[in-house]
Amino acid sequence: MDLHNLNPSSLKSRFTTRFLRALTEINARKPIASSSSPREIFQRYRRIKDAADTSMAYSVRSRRTWSKATLWRLRTPSHRRRLASFGRRSSLNKTRTTTTASHRGAVVVQITSRGGGLGVQLEELRELVPGGEAMDLCNLLDETAHYIKCLTTQVQVMRTIANLYSLE
Amino acid sequence: MASGGNDDVGSKHHNIMNCSSSEMNPLCDKVDGMPKSISISMYNKPLNSSDPFLGSGWDPIVSLSQSESLVGSSMVSHGEFANFHYPHLMENQGICGTSHFSQYQSNPSFVELVPKLPGFGSGNFSEMVGSMSLPQSDQVANIRGCPSYTLNHEGGVERASTNSTQSREDRQISDGVVGAASNGKCRKRVPESSHNADGEPQKDPSRESCDVPKRQHAMKQKTEQDTGANSLGKQVTKQAKDGSQIGEKAKENYIHVRARRGQATNNHSLAERVNCRFHIERTMFCVLNFILNPVVFIIAGEKGKISERMRLLQELVPGCNKITGKAVMLDEIINYVQLLQRQVEFLSMKLATVNLELNIDLERFLSKDILYSRGGSAAVLGIGPAINSSCPFSSGIFPGTVPGILSTNPEFPPLPQTVLDNELQNLIQMGFRLEFRHG
Repeated sequence: MDLHNLNPSSLKSRFTTRFLRALTEINARKPIASSSSPREIFQRYRRIKDAADTSMAYSVRSRRTWSKATLWRLRTPSHRRRLASFGRRSSLNKTRTTTTASHRGAVVVQITSRGGGLGVQLEELRELVPGGEAMDLCNLLDETAHYIKCLTTQVQVMRTIANLYSLE
Repeated sequence: MASGGNDDVGSKHHNIMNCSSSEMNPLCDKVDGMPKSISISMYNKPLNSSDPFLGSGWDPIVSLSQSESLVGSSMVSHGEFANFHYPHLMENQGICGTSHFSQYQSNPSFVELVPKLPGFGSGNFSEMVGSMSLPQSDQVANIRGCPSYTLNHEGGVERASTNSTQSREDRQISDGVVGAASNGKCRKRVPESSHNADGEPQKDPSRESCDVPKRQHAMKQKTEQDTGANSLGKQVTKQAKDGSQIGEKAKENYIHVRARRGQATNNHSLAERVNCRFHIERTMFCVLNFILNPVVFIIAGEKGKISERMRLLQELVPGCNKITGKAVMLDEIINYVQLLQRQVEFLSMKLATVNLELNIDLERFLSKDILYSRGGSAAVLGIGPAINSSCPFSSGIFPGTVPGILSTNPEFPPLPQTVLDNELQNLIQMGFRLEFRHG
């Protein structure tokens, strides 16, 4: 594919631009020294991972529940998240009729099996997909499909970047 | 006049307007008698202007009553009172009041409930409501000449709503007749049975004494007025109570408590009852819809959606073409999502350890870009056989800074690379160049 076929507004390009920007920023903040401790490397890893998730969620622009949940998770400090999750947990256990998942999401909620033979798997899926705790099956599958698509894009871009970098 | 109203059973109640008021007088006489429908139609006129909600309410009632009888009723004279047009409750719209009336008169059982919710034309609710209230069959109250009903759309609605016994209907009718004017004092309708459970003692005597013609006039004039509606409502509500429908009863009781409009405290006010009823039924409708629809949706329609989405997911997840069955498919989906998330983590760890040196990158990227623009030839500069290869972790010839990193990818099977990799790399190069330029 030559350059002319690139769609500047595709998900991939949006994510790539953002992610590269974030990477550069992270690198500029704390350049890797040859003698970095594992702890520093771990911190770097966390920051890069968050940057990747955030840039992907931003690229989706909050159109999706999982992106909202991801952004919320990464923005809200953990103590506030815990408080919010309490209310969510109680309300979740009451009714599942809400089709829109609350974007307070990533806290894994203790989900009681809701029925059918697919109960356990559904719970697992809900845990995996951010913001999927309060969604019914139909919307959850929708979100999962979109989430998978975005994840594959993310993996592709990151892999390419890693390759490019590592080849230097 | 009746003809006007009769024309369209299904037409909006405003069609009934055709009936001239002048016709009422002669009809009034009939109020007590059979074909009150005519008078009713006359009353319908004013209904048009009034609350459409009420007007629509007529429909269900009509349908209810239709199912029962009316064949021989004098109402038939109205012609098309479409009595038989709507067997189902929520016909909504515009059944001319006359038709309703005619039916009522002939039908001893007045179906109630009804569709007070004009807006909701969905059949579900009406069915539900109908089931709750006494559907059709014996419920239809005889609306003997309830011109009052026509008066208020409210009244009309009310009629439909409840009536298990003729007496009730009579009451309603009489109430309606009395109409708006009085709070149902004069029930001109001949009370077939004054055994109104609701115990409208005042109605009974008033019924007898009411002067039908007077009432009718009064009612006509008051069509729009709440009082009329209230009286009708009261009638209806009362009858509802007596009706076998418990739901109705509950509503009735509730109505008593909630004085909604006008004569809030006056239980016998038809209009009030009607209004209350409307509100209640409306809310009930909403609630029922809310409860039922998802269930129905899930049972009937959603399964299709779910399988449709499962198919989509099947296409997304590699290697799932042959899988049939939700459980296995879900397992695969879960595994794939977990795999992707792990890959992201691994790659971010990799990026964390990679030394990002933009200086070197710039030149390389520029050259790579050139390479790509030439058709993506293989590493001329010895940079990237790995880049062009489909294997992400190929350890090609490269100035290995971190060869160890590449070797630590055993857990990742070579993912199927799309043809967009080149495009991606172009993008990245562009991105790098941009980054570099921006400093």
